[in-house]
Amino acid sequence: MILPSRRSAVRYQAVFLRRKLRKPLWISFFVCFVVCATSLAQEESAELAIPETLDFARDIQPIFSAACTSCHGGVKQAADLSFVNPKSVLPPQGWVIEPGRPDESELFHRIVSDDPELRMPPPEEHPQGLSARDIGLIRRWIEQGAIWTDHWSRAALQAPAVEDSTASTDWAKQTVDHIVAAEHQRQGLAHAREANPEEWLRRVSLDLIGLPPTADEHLDFLRQVREAEDETARDAIYEKQVDRLLASAHFGERWASMWMDLARYADSKGFEKDPHRDIWPYRDWLIRAFNADMPYDEFTVRQLAGDLLPDATFEDLIATAFHRNTQTNTEGGTDDEEFRTAAVIDRLNTTWTVWQATTFGCVQCHAHPYEPFANHEYYAGLALFNSTEDCDLDSEFPTIPYTADPAKQQEWLQLTEKERQITRAIDAIGHQRVQKTVWNPLPVLSASSTSGMLNLVGSEVRSSGTVAVGSTYTLTARAESLSALRIHILPVSDAPEDWPEQGSVLSHIQLSKHGPESEQPQPINLTTVIPDFRAGSYEPEQVLQPNKDGFGGYPKLFGPRWVVICLETPLKLDSDESLQIELIQKSSVTGGLSNHIRRLRIDYSADQKLSALANNSEVRELRDELDATREKLSEFRGPEVPIMQERSQSSSRTTREFLRGNFLEKGAIVRPGIPQAFQAVQDSRIENRLDFARWLVSDANPLSARVWANRLWSELFGIGLVETLEDFGPSGTPPVHPELLEYLANFLREDCGWRIKPFLRSMVLSATYRQDSKASPQAMERDPKNRFLARGPRTRLTAEMIRDQALLASGKLNRSIGGPSVMPPQPEGVWQQAYSSAQWQTAIDQDRYRRGLYTYWRRTSPYPGFLMFDAPVRDVCSARRIPTNTPLQALVTLNSEVYAELAKALAQRCYSETESLPDAVDGMFLSVTSRPASDQDKQVLMELLQSLMPGDNASVSVESDHENADSGDVQATQHVLDKLSQVALAILNSDWALTK
Amino acid sequence: MNLETEWYLRSLQAKTRRHFLRGCSMGLAGMWLGLQTQADRVMAIDGAHPPARAKRVIFLHMAGSPSQLELFDYKPALQQLDGQDCPQSFLEGKRFAFIQGVPKMLGPQYAFEQVGESAAWVSDRLPNFKQVVDRVCFIKSMYTTQFNHAPAQLLLHTGNQNLGAASMGSWITYGLGTENENLPGFIVLVSGGRMPSAGKSAWGAGYLPSVFQGVQCRSQGDPVLFLSNPDGSSRADRRKTLDAIERLNHRAYQEYGDPETLTRIAQYELAFRMQTSAMEAFDLSQESESVHRAYGVEAGKESFANNCLLARRLAERGVRFIQLFHWGWDSHGAAESEALNKGFKDRCRECDQPMTALLQDLQQRGMLEDTLVVWGGEFGRTPMRENRNGTEMKFVGRDHNPGAFTMWLAGGGVRPGFSFGETDELGYESISNRVSPHDLHATLLHLLGINHLKLTYNFQGANQRLSNLTKTSRVVEEIIA
Repeated sequence: MILPSRRSAVRYQAVFLRRKLRKPLWISFFVCFVVCATSLAQEESAELAIPETLDFARDIQPIFSAACTSCHGGVKQAADLSFVNPKSVLPPQGWVIEPGRPDESELFHRIVSDDPELRMPPPEEHPQGLSARDIGLIRRWIEQGAIWTDHWSRAALQAPAVEDSTASTDWAKQTVDHIVAAEHQRQGLAHAREANPEEWLRRVSLDLIGLPPTADEHLDFLRQVREAEDETARDAIYEKQVDRLLASAHFGERWASMWMDLARYADSKGFEKDPHRDIWPYRDWLIRAFNADMPYDEFTVRQLAGDLLPDATFEDLIATAFHRNTQTNTEGGTDDEEFRTAAVIDRLNTTWTVWQATTFGCVQCHAHPYEPFANHEYYAGLALFNSTEDCDLDSEFPTIPYTADPAKQQEWLQLTEKERQITRAIDAIGHQRVQKTVWNPLPVLSASSTSGMLNLVGSEVRSSGTVAVGSTYTLTARAESLSALRIHILPVSDAPEDWPEQGSVLSHIQLSKHGPESEQPQPINLTTVIPDFRAGSYEPEQVLQPNKDGFGGYPKLFGPRWVVICLETPLKLDSDESLQIELIQKSSVTGGLSNHIRRLRIDYSADQKLSALANNSEVRELRDELDATREKLSEFRGPEVPIMQERSQSSSRTTREFLRGNFLEKGAIVRPGIPQAFQAVQDSRIENRLDFARWLVSDANPLSARVWANRLWSELFGIGLVETLEDFGPSGTPPVHPELLEYLANFLREDCGWRIKPFLRSMVLSATYRQDSKASPQAMERDPKNRFLARGPRTRLTAEMIRDQALLASGKLNRSIGGPSVMPPQPEGVWQQAYSSAQWQTAIDQDRYRRGLYTYWRRTSPYPGFLMFDAPVRDVCSARRIPTNTPLQALVTLNSEVYAELAKALAQRCYSETESLPDAVDGMFLSVTSRPASDQDKQVLMELLQSLMPGDNASVSVESDHENADSGDVQATQHVLDKLSQVALAILNSDWALTK
Repeated sequence: MNLETEWYLRSLQAKTRRHFLRGCSMGLAGMWLGLQTQADRVMAIDGAHPPARAKRVIFLHMAGSPSQLELFDYKPALQQLDGQDCPQSFLEGKRFAFIQGVPKMLGPQYAFEQVGESAAWVSDRLPNFKQVVDRVCFIKSMYTTQFNHAPAQLLLHTGNQNLGAASMGSWITYGLGTENENLPGFIVLVSGGRMPSAGKSAWGAGYLPSVFQGVQCRSQGDPVLFLSNPDGSSRADRRKTLDAIERLNHRAYQEYGDPETLTRIAQYELAFRMQTSAMEAFDLSQESESVHRAYGVEAGKESFANNCLLARRLAERGVRFIQLFHWGWDSHGAAESEALNKGFKDRCRECDQPMTALLQDLQQRGMLEDTLVVWGGEFGRTPMRENRNGTEMKFVGRDHNPGAFTMWLAGGGVRPGFSFGETDELGYESISNRVSPHDLHATLLHLLGINHLKLTYNFQGANQRLSNLTKTSRVVEEIIA
C-alpha cells in the first residue's frame, strides 16, 4: 500500500492553512455569476448595474483578457506591461495603478483619454474602446483598492456549508441534492418527478458498467420495486442495484474505457507503418484498478511514477505504461531525438491536461498568454520527464515481458534487481581501480578506415567523408607496456548545448601485436570491460563479441563517453613491435544512418591491477552470477510491454530550455519543478516524477480533485459543471455551479478517500440523478443543456456502449475480461498503411463478440464504427468526446456487418425464447431499450414486420404461434427470421436504443 | 420531413450559425445539418474577409514527394556537377533522412523543354501536361521544416507537424460548409495501394468536432463505408425500416422532448438519401466513353485516373474539399518500385494524363474558374544522390529535401501561366519568394474568401488556426489573378 499524498501533504500544511484564512471570495462570486449567466441574453439591451462589491476574477480579469492581454500579456509585453499577473500593474513594482486613486492611475487615464495617441486599447484595433460599464468597473475596482486574486481554480479546496433548505428536505436523498435544490430555488425552477424505475435502471447500469440491464435484471428489479412496502424499502432496493453494479467485474471495463481516451491508449505505435505495440496489459491493469476501486492518489502515483516507488511491483511497472502510450516513430530516416522529445512533451502536456485541466502546452514557446506561467517553467516541467530510458527505438526499449503469474512476476523483479546490483558492484570495483590508475595518451601512429577518412588531430582521431555502416577503423600505436585501454567517444561539438548528437558506438574491438614484417600478427585477448556508466539498451560487455551491439551513445550521444577495456595479460612491446587496434562500426538507426565514432581519444595504462581484475575472485564470482542471471532473464517470454524507467543518476539527461520551442536550439539548463503559481512557498522541491505525482494528489493541489470530480460528474450527467473538462483556466468555461463543484471535489477527496465507488454510489442514488429526463418545451427553452439539473440526464451512448448493448441484447456478448485486443468485423481495405504488411484478421471465434474496449486500436486507421460515434483517434490525449449526431452514424448501425449479424442473433434469440412473433418483438424491444414496448411501439414494429412480408399471408405468419412456424419448413422459418432481423435492426437504431 | 421537424431544423441552423460566430464548442449535435446550407457562415462572422475566388478545392497530393528536379525545376548547373562529391557547405548544419557523410551530386535524369506561351520548363516525363501549362501557376520556392514523411504531410495538411491538429479540409468545411447536403463536404480518395504516411490524421478533424473530418471514399466497393444495405434487404424494405424507426423516434420525442431525437430523425433521412446520391456520384459508368478515354479510366480499379474523374464529379455536386493522395513518389533508389530511373517513370505515367484531363475537363465545363486545383508533395528531393548506409545504391534516387520543392495551382483565382519563386542553382534551397506550407494555407483560405487570421477555434487555451499560430503567415498575393 502506498499513500504518498498523505505523507507529503504535511509539508504543504502551512500553505494550506494560510489560504484557508483568506475569504473564499470566488465561491460567493460564482453563485452570483450563475444568476448573471441566465440573463446573458438580455445583457446586450440592458446595461447591468455596477455591483457594490467587485470581484477581480468576475469583473476585471475578463476586461483585461478581452482588451489588454493580446499586447500586454504573457506572449507580448508591450511597454514591459503584462496583465497576466499583478507584478507590472500594481505597486510596488507596477506603475499603472495607484490603488484607491483612479484619477492618479495611468491605466485609468489611458482608458478614458480622447487622444487617439494615448487611448487604450488603441483605437485602430478597438475602435469603440471600453464600454462605459467596463470603465465604471475599473474605476470602482481601483477605488476599492485594486485587489488582485489568483484564478479560482487554484484556490484552496474547502467544503462549502450545505444548508438543508426546507424546500429540499422532502426531495433530497443525498447531500448533493440540497445544493441542487437551493440552486433550483434561486432559479425559480422545480425539480422533475422521479424517473420510472426502469429508466433509472437503464441509466445507472449503462453509467456504472457500460451495459444495459438484461431482461432478467430488469424484470427482477421491477418486481422488487413493486413489492416494496414503503419509500425506505424502495431506496434499499435501489441501493442493492447500485451495489450489484459497483461489484460487477464489468465496472472496471466501463471506467477503463473512459480512461483510455485520456491515456491515448492504442495497440499501435503511430506514424507511417504504425506497427503493433504490446500494451494491452496496461489496459487490463486499468480494469483491475477500477474494479479494486484503487484510490485516485495511488492510481495517479502508480501510473506516473510506479517505477520510482520504493519496492515497485511488477504491476506498478505495468501501470507506468500510461506514459508509454506516446507514439514511437519507426519511419526510416527519422531523428530519434526529435520523436523522443515529442514523446516527453506529450507526457508533460498530457499530465497537465488530465490531472490539472491546465493548458500547459501553451508555455512551450512563450509565457502563457493569460496564465501566470513563465516559459522557463515549461522546461522545469519537462525536466521531470526527460530522464527516462526510452528513446524512440523501434524495439520500444525499455519493455518488460508480461506475465500474469504473480510468482513469475516476482521472480522477474528479483532477477532484474539482482542484475542491477551485480553490475553496480562490478562497476564499483572497476571504477575504484580506474581512478587510482595513471592514464597516458596512447601515441597513435596511423589511422585508416575501410570507408570515409580518419585524421589524426593532436591526440585525437577524427573521421570525415562517408563512413559506411560496417566500416572498420584500424589504428596502429606504440606503447612499451600495456594493461588496459580507455577509449573516449567524443561528441564533435564541445558545446553541451549542441548535444545530443547522432549516435556514436563502438560495436566491437580487436587488438593485435605486430612484429617485424615476417611475423604473423598476434591477437591479444581482452577481458574486463568497465564503462563510465550503463544506460540504454546496450550491454557494454558486448564490445568484446563480434556481431553484437557494443558500447556508446545509442541512438544519440548525449556527451563524452568512455570505456576501459582490460587485457587478459599485461603486454610488453619490443621496439620493433606495434599495437594494432581495430574498431568496428556497425551501429545504425532505422533507415541506415550510421552511428559510427566521429571523434575519439585513447588512453592507456600499464597498471597490472587492471588486467588482474579478470582474475579477482570477487569479480569472477559476480560475473558468473551475472551471466546466470541474464540467462534466466532471457528465458522470460511474453508480450513486451513498454514501461517508464528512469536513467541512473550518472546518466541522467540535462534539460535545457528550447529557444522558441525548437528542440534543436537549446538555451540555459533548467532544474526540475512546477510553476510558481502552484507553489506559494518554495520549501519543498519537486525533483522527479514521483515528487510531482505525489504533489498532484496532495492536499496542496486543489485542482486534481476538482478536475476528477468534474469528469466523473460529466460521465453521469453528460456535461461537466466546468464544461471544458480539459481547461479550467481563464480560456475554459467557468463552473456553472461552483458550490456544487467544490462540494463534489471535497466529497471525493476527503469523504470518499479518493475512491470513486462511494462517490458514484452517492451520485446515482441522489434525487438529482433519479429525476425523469423528460423536458417540456418551456424547460428546453429555459435550460437546453440542463445546466441547472431540474431534470434527469438524457445522453447518447458512447461508441463502445452502442456496440456492447447490441452484443448483450443479442445474447452474443463474450463476457471474458482482459487479454490481447481483438478484431471484430470491419469493412475490407480499411487497413492500407504505408510500408506495412499488417492485416486485419477478422475474428471468427468468440473474440468476435468481445466488448468494445477490446477492439484493436490502430492509430492511423482506427475502427471506423467507433470513429463515427465520436471516439477520438487517440494520437494524443483526448479529454472530452463531444457527441455529434450524423448520417454516417446511421450508416454504421444500419448497414455494417456487425449490426446485421447482431440484429439477426437478437431476432433468433427472442424468437426461439417466445411463443409468438409479437412476443419476440416485445422481447427484442425490452432487451435493447430496457423498457417494455408501448402499444404504439408494438404497433409500429408489427406493421413493419407485416409490410416486410407482403407475399406471405401476413396475418397468419405474424399471428401464428411458434409451433406453427416450427412445423413449416426450415426455409420458411429462415424467411421469418430474416424479416424479424429487420425489425431488430429498427429497434437497435431507434432513439430509445441509442440514448440512456 | 414534417413541418415541426423543419421548423426545428431551421431554428437549429440559426443557432448553429450564431454558435460559429462565437467560435465556441457547444450545441454540436445539429452541426452536420447546420453545415449543409450555410455557405455564407464565415462571411457572416466578420466583414473582414476577402471576396471568394474559389468555391471548392481539389488537392492532388503526391504522397512520398516527387522530385522537382526531374519534373519542373530545371537545373543545368546540376548536370555539370553530376557524379562529383557534394561540397561541404551543402552538408553543414543539415539533417537528412538517409544521406550521410559526403554524397555525390546527381544531375537531372530527364530532358527538359520550355513549353507554352508561358515558356514553363517541363520534363519529358509529363508529355500531356505540357498542353496545359498555360493554365497553371507554379510555385518553385516551396520549403518546409520537416524532412520525414509523416510529420511533413501533417504540417502540409494540418499546419502542425505533430498529430492532433485539424486538417485543411476540416477547416474549410468548418468555415464554409458544403453545398450538397446529401454528400459529405470533405471527401478523401486514395490511390497507389497505400495510405499516405501520416495515415488518416492527414484528413483528421483534430481539435475540431469530429463531423468535420474527411470521409475517405473508395473507388472500389462501397464508396462510403457502410453505404450499401446489408445483403438481402432491398431499398424498399430499407424505406419501411426507416419509416418504422422514424415513428419510434417520434414517440421518443413526444415523450422526452429531446431535440437530439429530432436531429436523429433527420440524419436517418439524410443517410437514406446519401445512399443513392453517393452511389450515383461514384458511378463512373455514367460518364461517356470519350471522358473515360481522356482520363485513362480503368473500370473497377483503384487508380489515380479514376479518382481524378471522381474528383470532377464530386466537385460538380458541390463537395467543398476533395483530397486525393497518390502513393509511390518516394524515389530514394532503395527499390526498383520507387527509383528515379524505374518506378518514378510509372508514377509520372499514372498521373500525367489524368491530371491534365482533369484541368481540361474542368475548363470545358466552366468549373475551373471557381475550382482551385493544387498539386504537390510534402517536401522536395535533394540534388545529391542518396547513399543509404553510406554506400552506393543499386538504383538511382534522391533523399528528402525540405529546403525546396515545386507545387502548382490552377483555377480558382490563381494567375495562370505564371511561375513564382526560385531555387538556387542546384535546386537545393528556395532562395527568392519562399513559400511555406503555412503561407499556402493562408493563400488557399484567401482564395476561398476567408481571412486566415479570422477562422479560429479555441483549443488548449489558444485560438487555433490553420496558418502559423505564432508567426503571421503570408497570403501570396503575387500568384492571385
